[in-house]
Amino acid sequence: MLTILYALLFYGATVVLVAGVVFRIWQYSTTPAPLKIPTTPAPVTRGGVVMRFGREVVLFESLFKANKWIWLFGWIFHAGLLLVLMRHLRYFTEPVWSWVALMQPLGLYAGFAMVAGLLGLWARRIIVPRIRYISAPSDHLMLALIVGIGVSGLAMKYVARTDIVAAKAFILGLLYFDWQPIPADPVLLIHLALVAVLMIIFPVSKLLHAPGLFFSPSRNQADDARERRHVSPSWPASLPTGAGAKR
Amino acid sequence: MAYQMNGSTVEHDEEGYITDLGAWNKELADLIAADENIEMTDEHWEVVNFLREYYEEYQIAPAVRVLIKAIKKTMGKDKGNNKYLYTLFPYGPAKQACKIAGLPKPTGCV
Amino acid sequence: MVELNIRQPAGPEEFPDPSEIPPLAHGAMADSKPYPASAEHQKAIGFPGELVDDWKERAIDKLGELVSKSRGLRVYLDTCVKCGACTDKCHYFLGTADPNNMPVARQDLLRKVYRRYFTFAGKYFPWLVGAADLTEEVLDEWFSYFHQCSQCRRCSVYCPYGIDTAEISMAAREIMDTVGKGQKYCNEIIGKVHKYGNNLGLQEKAHRATLADLEEDIEDETGVAVRLPLDEKGADILLVTPSADFFAEPHIDGLIGYAKVFHHVGASWTISSYASEAANFGLFIGSQENMRELALRIRKAAEDLGVNRIVFGECGHAWRAAYNFLDTLAGPFDFLDQRYPIPQHICEYTYDLIQKGALNLDKARNDHIRLTFHDSCNIARASRMGDWEGGQFDIPRAILRASCNHFYDMPADTIREATFCCGGGGGLLTDELMDLRKKGAQPRMRALQQVAGEHGVTHMAAICAICKTQFAKVMPEFGFEMDAIVSVHQMVSNAIILDGQIEDDEDGPTMTASGNGADGGEE
Repeated sequence: MLTILYALLFYGATVVLVAGVVFRIWQYSTTPAPLKIPTTPAPVTRGGVVMRFGREVVLFESLFKANKWIWLFGWIFHAGLLLVLMRHLRYFTEPVWSWVALMQPLGLYAGFAMVAGLLGLWARRIIVPRIRYISAPSDHLMLALIVGIGVSGLAMKYVARTDIVAAKAFILGLLYFDWQPIPADPVLLIHLALVAVLMIIFPVSKLLHAPGLFFSPSRNQADDARERRHVSPSWPASLPTGAGAKR
Repeated sequence: MAYQMNGSTVEHDEEGYITDLGAWNKELADLIAADENIEMTDEHWEVVNFLREYYEEYQIAPAVRVLIKAIKKTMGKDKGNNKYLYTLFPYGPAKQACKIAGLPKPTGCV
Repeated sequence: MVELNIRQPAGPEEFPDPSEIPPLAHGAMADSKPYPASAEHQKAIGFPGELVDDWKERAIDKLGELVSKSRGLRVYLDTCVKCGACTDKCHYFLGTADPNNMPVARQDLLRKVYRRYFTFAGKYFPWLVGAADLTEEVLDEWFSYFHQCSQCRRCSVYCPYGIDTAEISMAAREIMDTVGKGQKYCNEIIGKVHKYGNNLGLQEKAHRATLADLEEDIEDETGVAVRLPLDEKGADILLVTPSADFFAEPHIDGLIGYAKVFHHVGASWTISSYASEAANFGLFIGSQENMRELALRIRKAAEDLGVNRIVFGECGHAWRAAYNFLDTLAGPFDFLDQRYPIPQHICEYTYDLIQKGALNLDKARNDHIRLTFHDSCNIARASRMGDWEGGQFDIPRAILRASCNHFYDMPADTIREATFCCGGGGGLLTDELMDLRKKGAQPRMRALQQVAGEHGVTHMAAICAICKTQFAKVMPEFGFEMDAIVSVHQMVSNAIILDGQIEDDEDGPTMTASGNGADGGEE
């Protein structure tokens, strides 16, 4: 019963996540960007824009300029999350890829780093009046949700070890449509349920910042307005086009 | 929004500029000036009269520089400068003097 | 310079930090509102004259339409994570302490309505995500706080997703205009451009007389007959400059500077009476239709006069609209000479001449001035000069360094891409918002006080009509003379020696008349 419930939950969550994010990406990419609005100084070439994105995605360059504390906590959280996700590949691969096996210890430290970063961000949200002012209940709940995922995950490793072999069998069973029983470990069940919730709310929440970043015109446009005439395909219809329009 | 004067009323906008430019007269100028805490002297009148003549000809207030030059000609070098005009019209010769002269407010990045 | 004792070297601790974060003062600026546009001004630019009966439905519809037509707006409304990085970046927040002037809080005024009507979470769990119904109170809040944003984009530099509050302010103003709640200052002016070709309402006869007057002034001063041509067909260059350059101080001194530069190299140029305005206030109210109409005026003037090049004068948001939007809105400009940038900035033009050694500049003629430079927000963060990233910072400084001996930059975190807005941009340069303008100028003024104290700086140059007017107005509040603000090309005008120029009479170069910064020349 529990197995069926969780199996359906994860199939449902995956469909919502994938369909939702695909829909958003479709929506963002088909919404016209009528005018050139890169925040300057901006790269003058497309290649430069790729580099700018590299720095934003890997180093959080703008955030670093803005506020060192938010940058520190935010970067630690995201870097930790990345490593933890990579570490989790061991539950989805058989045999486990060698680099995934190699980075297992790193992934564990990253789990702590991730939770620490989140708690830092949460503390600022409560303590700093400016950030408290702009916080809605959902902003706190989102932090609670991810902290919950992190803490329950760490608990399975360090407090109440779960039957990880059975858990992996359950996950692989989902992947290959050959359902295996889910271990009835409450911590694991909580962990998985929270992850499913996160997947489901991803496309309707501020977690959209992950795909959204790549569609932000102030960041993804090259500063080449005088070199290349910018004409958005779908707006406005009445703009003069024709010969020379794509100079 | 209106100025009350000898029983007659003259409409003005939010900022005190009269809306019917034809309704202006010297008493009204004194009244507007009093509202602005300015007591009209000969020098004030010199500026106001020049503004009105210029407006009559060009349908706009003169550039500050043109005004200064005109004042320099009539009142002499020591009074023909921006600083002196500001002592006459502390909120700025263009806007405040125009208001008193019954002209529309100069608009734009000025 | 009053109240600034430059002879005593001062430690930095004596100067208040331009970026000092104030404790929150809730509702401090809730009563700050611009005058509403009259029915006449609204209708002249295609909007209803007064608040329409079904304003709520129409506002929500308009929001939906804008979101579906602007990727930026949609992404910006969706992606904010409320990290707080922008909260201390707005000059209006730093100056007023009102939390609604924190960029994210300002965005949230629109975002909460967007969420309520256009997102799953906001439709079903409004309390959870801070979504709110559109009510009259919200509309009032919009009118107040979206007219406390100068669309300077400083927040956008620091946002990890590049969220640009300017775009959100423009959308909010567009929505308000659509339901009949416009702002007088912007809308009256846009109507004037449609009618007269410029913000001032300057008509051809007066325009011609003003230019003739300036020609007379230049000849009196230099002995050289420098022309300011109007509507001359067949000229090589069309100069499009803010109409403030024909009216206000120190703008007009900049115009004289352009004219001298053109004259010195024998350029054939003209001003147009039909397109006698560089500024495009359609940008401020987010009205792309109005923006486009104003842009098309410039195209028509260029075609009618048969020019080969378009050069823009010193104007901030105008340069954004020209550099980034002109080609999109009114292009393609196939009929212009493709060897030159379309459009070109007057600073690029002068810089190129300086590089070639084509101008005869005597820096010593500006020795009574110790100068700094204010990066105008929309040139710094929404456009470029030159063909390299950041040329908009380097080129004006290179011109100034070539024109004077004493140049000092303000603190690094207040210039270039981090520059603070003057406090009057984006359609806020109107008298009823003076309190806001003074408070918004505070960060910039503190930075100026610092460089004045440390290096004896007496004057600040700018390349934006709004900045110049705003500073002339608010500088006295911060211990500076109103003429401590100068045009970049005013510095060029002072320094340039034209062929056949007679030496100064006792008046000296024009701008020194009231500059009175002689003591600033001492080291």
